[in-house]
Amino acid sequence: MKRFAFLLALTAAGNAPEFPDFRNVAAQAGLVDSFPNGGSESKQYIVETTGSGVAFIDYNNDGLLDIFVLSGPGGTNRLYRNDGNGHFTDVTEETGLKSDGWSQGVCAGDFDNDGFTDLLVTSWGGLALYRNVGGRRFENVTIKAGLKQDRARYNTGCAFLDYDNDGRLDIFVANYVKFDFATTPKPGENPYCWYRDLAVNCGPRGLPFDHNILYHNNGDGTFTDVSDASGISKPSQSYCLGVLTGDFNEDGRTDIFVACDQTPSLLYINRGDGTFSEEGVLRGTAFDDNGKAMSGMGATSADYDGDGKPDIFRTNFSDERETLYHNRGGANFDDATISAGLARNTRWVGWGCGFFDFDNDGWKDLLLVNGHVFPEVDRLKIDIHYKDRAILYHNNGNGTFADISDRAGPGILERHASRGAAFGDYDNDGSVEILVNNQNEPPSLLKNAHRPAGNWVILKLEGVKSNRSAIGARVHLTVGGRTQIDEVRSGGSYLSQSDLRLHFGLGTATKIDQVEILWPSGIRQIVRNLNVGRVITLREPIE
Amino acid sequence: MRDTRCVLALVAVSVFAQDPVAKGIEEFHKGNYTAAQATLEQALKQDPGNQHARTFLALSRAATGGCDTAAKDLNEAYTSARNAELRRLAGLALAQCHMAHNRLDAALPIVMELEKQFPADADVLYEAAKLYMKGWNDVVFRMFQKTPASYRVNQISAEIFEIQGRYADAVAEYRKAIEKKPAAVNLHFRLARALLMESHAPEAMGEAQKEFEAELKLNPNDAVAEYEIGQILLAGNKPQDAAPRFERALELAPNFAEALLAVARLRSDAKRNDEAIGLIERAVRLEPENESAHYNLMLAYRNAGRSDDALREKAVIDKLERPPAGEFSEFLKKLGEKAPNQ
Repeated sequence: MKRFAFLLALTAAGNAPEFPDFRNVAAQAGLVDSFPNGGSESKQYIVETTGSGVAFIDYNNDGLLDIFVLSGPGGTNRLYRNDGNGHFTDVTEETGLKSDGWSQGVCAGDFDNDGFTDLLVTSWGGLALYRNVGGRRFENVTIKAGLKQDRARYNTGCAFLDYDNDGRLDIFVANYVKFDFATTPKPGENPYCWYRDLAVNCGPRGLPFDHNILYHNNGDGTFTDVSDASGISKPSQSYCLGVLTGDFNEDGRTDIFVACDQTPSLLYINRGDGTFSEEGVLRGTAFDDNGKAMSGMGATSADYDGDGKPDIFRTNFSDERETLYHNRGGANFDDATISAGLARNTRWVGWGCGFFDFDNDGWKDLLLVNGHVFPEVDRLKIDIHYKDRAILYHNNGNGTFADISDRAGPGILERHASRGAAFGDYDNDGSVEILVNNQNEPPSLLKNAHRPAGNWVILKLEGVKSNRSAIGARVHLTVGGRTQIDEVRSGGSYLSQSDLRLHFGLGTATKIDQVEILWPSGIRQIVRNLNVGRVITLREPIE
Repeated sequence: MRDTRCVLALVAVSVFAQDPVAKGIEEFHKGNYTAAQATLEQALKQDPGNQHARTFLALSRAATGGCDTAAKDLNEAYTSARNAELRRLAGLALAQCHMAHNRLDAALPIVMELEKQFPADADVLYEAAKLYMKGWNDVVFRMFQKTPASYRVNQISAEIFEIQGRYADAVAEYRKAIEKKPAAVNLHFRLARALLMESHAPEAMGEAQKEFEAELKLNPNDAVAEYEIGQILLAGNKPQDAAPRFERALELAPNFAEALLAVARLRSDAKRNDEAIGLIERAVRLEPENESAHYNLMLAYRNAGRSDDALREKAVIDKLERPPAGEFSEFLKKLGEKAPNQ
């Protein structure tokens, strides 16, 4: 919340929003396949409501982001290669990613440090670890890696992270409920199967809890389940969905925030000895400002107010506010939803979300995508709908946001039952695009037709001693005396993977004074006088 | 009346199959009321002083519509029986007989007494709910019949619509009521609440605020209306305007826990942490089960560096947040299943 008057002069457009013009270019880009995910008129089971995620990854290292979209039964997860001309080609079959089942989440990271980004897909039923073989195809190494689960689990959000900073990426997987088709009650069968007098699918209340999982990377292509030993499995009263990793207390170790549905959200603080302690309540990220558990879905992080500390945003259910947690330092948070101007939208069920700087003014804006869990809600003829539009907030640069959804282009106003959302600049033009998974429809690909005025840079980090994907690396970028921060993250948003590269809006600046990188290895790197308007690769120095 | 458990207890007085009282009671519980009456009448001829036979004969008669002939014995069992189960069964039958003949005034004291004696009994609570609902229905029907043009008819209609979640209809009825009786207290307040429930649009907050203001004109001492206006202003990102509304709400109702918390947040924002903590502590004293108060107190202690106090509050929150025993147990999954013997 600290604001310095001189900084305002550095922004391109000051506080006045520069309205974007987001258009859905999915069809032109070749994203025409529908992705089934349960019923569209009615959903009998909760598993139909939560899928699925999307990913922006560069699987073939050609410098262009490719697209991966997850599907429920009746379809397949699909990988689309970026052809470099605004068009994408379906390469699912040839890359070995054809699938079946209830895919939920996706996260990316180079777990074997071979220079190619690997994928983890979570499902109701199990996990699938896909090793990227030379940027040509993917090999399903789930069993070989020791990730085959001994029962059908409802895996949701996931993230690769190096929790012990040993240079190898470990895996965190959130779990929602214990679910199976045989024993789960049908709509209307118990008090937890009703919504506003409508018989709807049951849960999560009334369904048994499960626990989250942490897999340690053994460095030989295998993983060991360390959920119990690390304390990750200890919380046993939360229905967990979106996963957000980050060093929230700035001690050089990766912590984990998990958005949970109708139950307290979790904040695992990394103790640095291979264990975590869950401290969400005391640190102020479990509830809203009234101490009430929200229906948390997705989560994202940024230093929205420029005070140098990473804050957290979480999407919630209709009749609830979204929640913005302001980091007051040391990973102690205050609910800043109201003071930031985010308290007025309460009719949406929010899912994928992300901070990104659409106008390149140096302040991270915020987008969330929406869609109800109950298609049946449309029968009520109220202002809550199954398919709904997105919400775009402009960051005013003073700790507050302005809802500019109505003036942000037709892509924002399209109505879908949206779930996962990923953010990335797929054409490297300095303007960030958004990929959205829409249930039972083709995905949306939102591109800003209005070229942002501000300058920009994209930093691609490459770990050497640290994990190759540089996941967990913290960047401090300084322009004209003002410093922005960001962190390389796997997972996040809602069950999705955004670009592993970091995009910064720079306003009118034509030079970057300094980039400081705190690598997970502990190495501190400083680079000065970088040019703007380009993608810059920064490799971890060898000490 | 068909509670198998009580049958077993009563039947236990006589284990002999040939005992006509036991046989009659068994027939009663099987729903063979005519046979039960014949058996129990026979039993009473042999033993006219048998209380069980007399009561179950009355219960059997009542079950077949013979309330008049059963009334005396039911009343005697209900008022004098030493056996609590007999009193319960007789009381329930008596109340049902009165309700069947629309004698709600006669049923009411019986049901109230049964609620006192058997506060957690499902049959008793069911009959009580039925009685109150019938009473409520009768009065509402009379209201619609006798005073159809009254604003009260619109008001009660609006309240019914609210319960049904039909907020647009509720809003319309409240508006009609206000048109007929602009000075009636509480109508604007209820209309404002219904407006907020009807729509999630930011504009609805403006409309609701107007109605809360109108309520305050009629009743300047309405602390809740002041508080609600404060909440609307806060959601609209007007903290400066919200502050005096919360202060006023607390002035009007010094024991209003939510207002205490709202004013505490104002003090906290102004870095007057000690004052904030004092106000929240007062809210906690007033409402020891208020989760919001404990949560705010925990954060206030945390922010003041009082870690031990914060942890103590967290322990209270953990306890309050814990779901009721069994809420998530397997039985809920089986609610929709039939019992094995069905």
